[in-house]
Amino acid sequence: MSQYQGKNMDGSLDLSTVKLKDVIDINFLQQFQDDFAKGVGLASVTVDPDGTPITNPSSYTRFCMDFTHSTECGDKRCAESHRKGGEEAARTGKPVIYECHAGLIDFAAPIMLEGRQIGTILGGQVLTDVPNDTKYRKIANEIGVDEEGYVEAVQEIRTLSRESIEAAANVLFIVANNMSNSAYQQMKLRSVADTLSDGLAQISATMEELAASASVVSENQGNLNSEIKNVNIVTGKIDAVMDFIKDIADETRLLGLNAAIEAARAGEAGLGFGVVAQEIRKLSADSKETVGKIKDLTTSIKESVDKTVTMGNETTNTIEQQAAAIEQVTASVMEIASLTEQLNQLANTK
Amino acid sequence: MSIQLVIFELDNKEYGIDVTAVNGILRARKFKIQALPGTDSSIEGMINLRGNVNYIFNLRTKFELTEKEISDESKFIMLNANNSTIGCIVDEVTDIVKLNDDQVQSTPNFICGGVDNYIIGIGKFEDRMIIILDPEKIFSAEVATLQGAVSN
Repeated sequence: MSQYQGKNMDGSLDLSTVKLKDVIDINFLQQFQDDFAKGVGLASVTVDPDGTPITNPSSYTRFCMDFTHSTECGDKRCAESHRKGGEEAARTGKPVIYECHAGLIDFAAPIMLEGRQIGTILGGQVLTDVPNDTKYRKIANEIGVDEEGYVEAVQEIRTLSRESIEAAANVLFIVANNMSNSAYQQMKLRSVADTLSDGLAQISATMEELAASASVVSENQGNLNSEIKNVNIVTGKIDAVMDFIKDIADETRLLGLNAAIEAARAGEAGLGFGVVAQEIRKLSADSKETVGKIKDLTTSIKESVDKTVTMGNETTNTIEQQAAAIEQVTASVMEIASLTEQLNQLANTK
Repeated sequence: MSIQLVIFELDNKEYGIDVTAVNGILRARKFKIQALPGTDSSIEGMINLRGNVNYIFNLRTKFELTEKEISDESKFIMLNANNSTIGCIVDEVTDIVKLNDDQVQSTPNFICGGVDNYIIGIGKFEDRMIIILDPEKIFSAEVATLQGAVSN
């Protein structure tokens, strides 16, 4: 039996292209058919749905081999007869017994797979009654073979009861169908196992990617956290600068006050200078106010950073949980993969 | 006539002192006050201002207010009084204002009738009331004892 490769687009088994040789080992079939033919005394051959033989003929009679098949006309009539028998068998899904064009009793046992015919076992080349010479002389003339030889050959044909022929046809039918069906079920199993295996491989790969990206996310989050902490350090430095500016503003204010005092002591001459001194004090007050505003801003930056750090830590926790979950899934997938491997082995056991 | 005042605060109350008596304002934090033993409790100590020793007085002690640490805002108002330059610790110097005579109301005798009365009057400026101090009188007694103590 060859390894059947026919698959549908989705990877499932394509039943429409399964051939007989995919489900039955032809050598085995040949052996079985030969032994059976010899044992029962029935000729037989296995053909595909087109009527093309798949096996060598077993125990063919001289009547058929040397006479009927010897002319083109006879060969054609045989093929036509086989085709009809096969068709009838396929239609009923059961073995049929019929009389061939050359007046012998034949049977056709269909090999069905889920309602579709994948082949036919043809057989027979026997008689149920003593042959009538006149009938065979007529046939000999029709197909163009020697009348005397033909009548002589038909005498060599075995005579079997119709029940025996039916029973023989049934045995072939049951055995061939059971063999092909169980082989087909095994094929299906293998196909499912393969699909499962592919799917698991994909899941595994995806899980690996997930794990990798989780660690990247984790690393990025770590960097983000430390970067944000840097912002807090910078904010602290800004505050220090602000303290310095505030100090300058205080100093400037004092300068303004002292200048105002000097101006006042200078009397009339200091009036203009007094105005300047007042402006200096105003400027320093503005500076101080601005420092306060900036400090409010840096405070809110600090708060935001603290919140971000807290959230970042939460994210890190979540990522760790995810990584753990991914590990668990990976472990489960590996378990399933090993089960699938067992399934595959079962499916490939002949 | 008008008077120009340096306004300062002690416990959120405003005081004023004639600007002509003010030598300058210093940030208290910038100086180290060295205590003088055996002197009046109003005398906080002395500082070295550009090579000169100046005595620092505590107005809180003088006015019997709760003690308070020197803060970032604390200032020394340096006064030319009693033939020397002395400093007073104040919470903050807030302003320099000019008041006309009609904005200054003298204090009646029943408030401070004594010889050491150092309150000249009350300055009325907008809604504010400013206690105007006499730079010569405010620490005259202490300066006298101090001069005694130092010369002894």
